Amino acid sequence: MKRRRFFKSLAVVPAGTVLLAQQPATQPAPTPAAPPAGRGARGGRGGGAPAAPPAAVPDIGITAVGEQVQKFFTATQFATLKRLADHLHPAENGDPSAVECHAPEFLDFLLSVSPAPEQATYRVGLDLLNSKARTQFKKAFADLDAKQVDTIIKPLVVAVPWAWALPKDPGERILYVANRDLRTAHRNSREYAEAGIASGRRQPFPQAFLLPVDPTYKG
Amino acid sequence: MAQKSYDVIIVGSGHSGGMAAKILTERGANVLMLNAGPVLDGTRDRVNKFAYELPYRGFGKPGRLSHVVQANEFNANQWVDEQEVPYTHDPANPYNWVRVRTFGGRSLYWARQSFRLSDYEFKSSEWGDSSENSWPISHADMDPFYRRVEGIFRVSGRNEGNLPQFPDGNLIEPNRQPDSTTIQRVTDLAQKRGWGVSKMRSSGGIGGLAASTNLLIPDALATGKLDIANNAIVREVSIDKATGLANGVHVVDRHSRQERLVKAKIIVLAAGTLESTRIVLNSGIANSSGLVGRYHSDQIYGVQVYASVPEARDGKAPQGLMGGQAFLPRFRNIRKDALSKFAGGYCAMIGSGQGAQAGHFPLYGAELQKKLASYAGSVVNGTIYGERPARYENHVRINKTVSDAWGIPALHIDVKDGPNEFAMAKDAADTFEEMFKTLGWEVFAKHDKFHPPGYSIHEVGTMRMGDNPKKSVLNKWCQSHDIKNLFAVDGSSFVTCGWQNPTITILALSMRASEHIADEIAKKNL
Repeated sequence: MKRRRFFKSLAVVPAGTVLLAQQPATQPAPTPAAPPAGRGARGGRGGGAPAAPPAAVPDIGITAVGEQVQKFFTATQFATLKRLADHLHPAENGDPSAVECHAPEFLDFLLSVSPAPEQATYRVGLDLLNSKARTQFKKAFADLDAKQVDTIIKPLVVAVPWAWALPKDPGERILYVANRDLRTAHRNSREYAEAGIASGRRQPFPQAFLLPVDPTYKG
Repeated sequence: MAQKSYDVIIVGSGHSGGMAAKILTERGANVLMLNAGPVLDGTRDRVNKFAYELPYRGFGKPGRLSHVVQANEFNANQWVDEQEVPYTHDPANPYNWVRVRTFGGRSLYWARQSFRLSDYEFKSSEWGDSSENSWPISHADMDPFYRRVEGIFRVSGRNEGNLPQFPDGNLIEPNRQPDSTTIQRVTDLAQKRGWGVSKMRSSGGIGGLAASTNLLIPDALATGKLDIANNAIVREVSIDKATGLANGVHVVDRHSRQERLVKAKIIVLAAGTLESTRIVLNSGIANSSGLVGRYHSDQIYGVQVYASVPEARDGKAPQGLMGGQAFLPRFRNIRKDALSKFAGGYCAMIGSGQGAQAGHFPLYGAELQKKLASYAGSVVNGTIYGERPARYENHVRINKTVSDAWGIPALHIDVKDGPNEFAMAKDAADTFEEMFKTLGWEVFAKHDKFHPPGYSIHEVGTMRMGDNPKKSVLNKWCQSHDIKNLFAVDGSSFVTCGWQNPTITILALSMRASEHIADEIAKKNL
């Protein structure tokens, strides 16, 4: 590498996120060259590379259309999780609730691609909550009122001073894990961010995301 | 085309490789640096995103980088892909090997804490540790090199008048701000017990970056004597059968997987502790002692004790009560008449003015929010960096059944915690609890658990230095006892880890070894 080029590249190797925070929020989109009218980019008739796209292709994003297909939880488990989310992370201070932010739906997706131990924590834990509801109130957990939910979950909420040593009891474990994950899925949602901006109470800041620096080569 | 001939090949571009390149080129050697990964470009390779724009809302892809607790969805691509470069361990004994293979390696990301080892670590066997665990060098041997490294890295901190466990350095002393009342009370209590108290020491570097890429390698390039080859993965060291000396390295091109033999008179391994050891093990060389891979050491992180200062709750802390930090360098095993039940030492960091965390209380909803609001700003927290002492049985070896994406056999890591680590962690947690209670604060959360080995990213040893070739792999110049033109200048030469972040010692060792190499070249001994 030529020395001048090397120093140029060093100048942009950042120290963590400190320097990165000074970068613009988004990379400026390259302006494509206008294609020859009626021809492909290489000018051939019907062949070669496709014509360059127009300067701005409107894209509303796949999450804005349709509904998420549920992949992981059973209907009962999902209803239990939704009830738990609504109870632990309700709408407050003008912010949407975890349910309104589709946190349970996101966790259904996340768990569908998670390792088996994490999946088991949710399946076993949510089934346990529902079973307790049936035993104590003859109703599904999803149908409990707030006081009844409290009756079931209060004994299961324990202090976890070391986040890497999760409670062994499946009920205590699901309460800690679901509360933690619902909070993250809630607070990191687009709906929560937009509500903060709309009310003027929060201005979310983007973080530096490192793109895959190279393709990986396997097998 | 005739191949360019090199005096020295340096394997690795992090701190130790960068220092070796700087010293050796400045002393006139022609050097080739081999770096296993690409060069990061901050404008090309990074974009800013919101968590909700990421596929996993910031959780990260489940199961990816399961050993890298430090990883998140934003920085996931900076770490070595664990499928591409796998390693193995017994599932019952997890090991968190945290790796970076871009140019500059982990020097781009380190926390910059910069503590010298003291003679309590260099001569650890005199202070309750195993009789095997003393270095062939002392702090006095290292002091001139520490001084120069501290100058280059612009280390700031407070000299304390040469506490034996916390030697003074060539430090930039920041303006002394008065301590908060809580920190002053901690300091008074510690000093009453004869413990040293100081402040953290940190490398300022330049522009907030204290990496090989901005502090070391530019100097080497300025000599015109350094070539760098990126995406060059070293498989093994090549040996001249006639002389028994190293004559080059086998390198695999990261992209094409084409293998090349690159020759040089001297080979300097600086790939990071376990990668350098992996290269030596895969080469089947330099192991007449049988100790290559043995005596792994690193540090325990995780112990936490939290207390709340009653008069600071509910936002009522008077100005000057909370804030700041006290740093207690090793205070166990520094008196021969008061050795602990465990070997090694730990430093204690006590911070003031934080808040509590949700997991600290068996509460949820409004009740939890009320509690957190009440405790906000009233919390004093104690944690440690503790030594996980070197032991023969803690080792790495080659797993012949698992290879990386380039067909290079992977490492199997067999390191587990023993009674020493658990005793040290318990001592630390109990000590914090006792101190905080003595000061009249409410201890509301305490645990003596800690992360698995490797988590600290301070793994050292596995090619320890020593005077006796039967009991060590390298001599005091980081030079192989068996192959005199083979050196390892990263953390692999360590005999003991100490509680100190090892980077500044790695840099000083690399500088010292590199000057020795240059001297030996000048004398035509190499």
